[in-house]
Amino acid sequence: MMNFPTTVPTEAYLILSAVLFGIGAMGVMLRKSALTMFMSVELMLNAVNLSFVAFARHFGRLDGQIIVFFVMAVAAAEVAVGLAIIVDIFRSRRSVDIDDVNWLRG
Amino acid sequence: MEFVVFAVFAAISVTAALFMVLQRNAMYSALFLVLNFFCFAVFFILLGAYFLAVVQVAVYAGAIMVLMLFVIMLLNVAYPEPPDKVLGFLRPFGVVTAVVFAAVLAGVGFGSKMGENASILPRISDPTSGAGIILKGVGAAEAGHVQEVAATLFSRYLFPFEVTSVLLLAAILGASVLVRKRTEHA
Repeated sequence: MMNFPTTVPTEAYLILSAVLFGIGAMGVMLRKSALTMFMSVELMLNAVNLSFVAFARHFGRLDGQIIVFFVMAVAAAEVAVGLAIIVDIFRSRRSVDIDDVNWLRG
Repeated sequence: MEFVVFAVFAAISVTAALFMVLQRNAMYSALFLVLNFFCFAVFFILLGAYFLAVVQVAVYAGAIMVLMLFVIMLLNVAYPEPPDKVLGFLRPFGVVTAVVFAAVLAGVGFGSKMGENASILPRISDPTSGAGIILKGVGAAEAGHVQEVAATLFSRYLFPFEVTSVLLLAAILGASVLVRKRTEHA
């Protein structure tokens, strides 16, 4: 007979966070579309955010939540610049396949 | 009850994440990622981070994903990606690496035996001890109230907050310069 705890333990959140981070890392390694890789990076960022919030509750402190707030701001900036770069690459190569972008020169 | 909600949404989020990664159509990937972000908002509510849950939906599921979908449609790359041209033989190793990586990270959680006393995570039994912003006597559900978050953000973290505004300004300028139409082809 499984005994369910009333509140979800912090460890459960950490395991879930690790699994989602792993899936995101798998996406970055497996996919070749720059857009999908980008989305996988977003998933990894969110998985880490979940850890931060779980620890914030665990220690009863707000600092973890504040850091998540900053991570979100940085992620927004990263998405804007990253998508601009992808659009620029697409203009010159007609492709977002990273195999087509294996040279540094433009 | 809380555990049931957590289990259901954990299953949904892991499934959505897997579909996002394995889906060959970038458009469907983006939509699964939106579903995933909503699951994260639910986790934030369960963890008492109400402000972050709202920000998660507004900023991530709203602004960031709309931008992402907009670019996918703009570039019209929603078709399935072609098979590998180079290094295709390395793909299975990517799966192995990711699974091992996740297992090692999750091992930290399992290693703590999921128990209250056996936990490797230190418990703060006395919330009034220690330095910094510790919420005195409030339960976990109280920890994310907007007032508390704002008080912390605009006192202790005021400088990083201001630096973030500079970062966002730089991102706006950078994105504008990058996608600007070249009048003359260099």
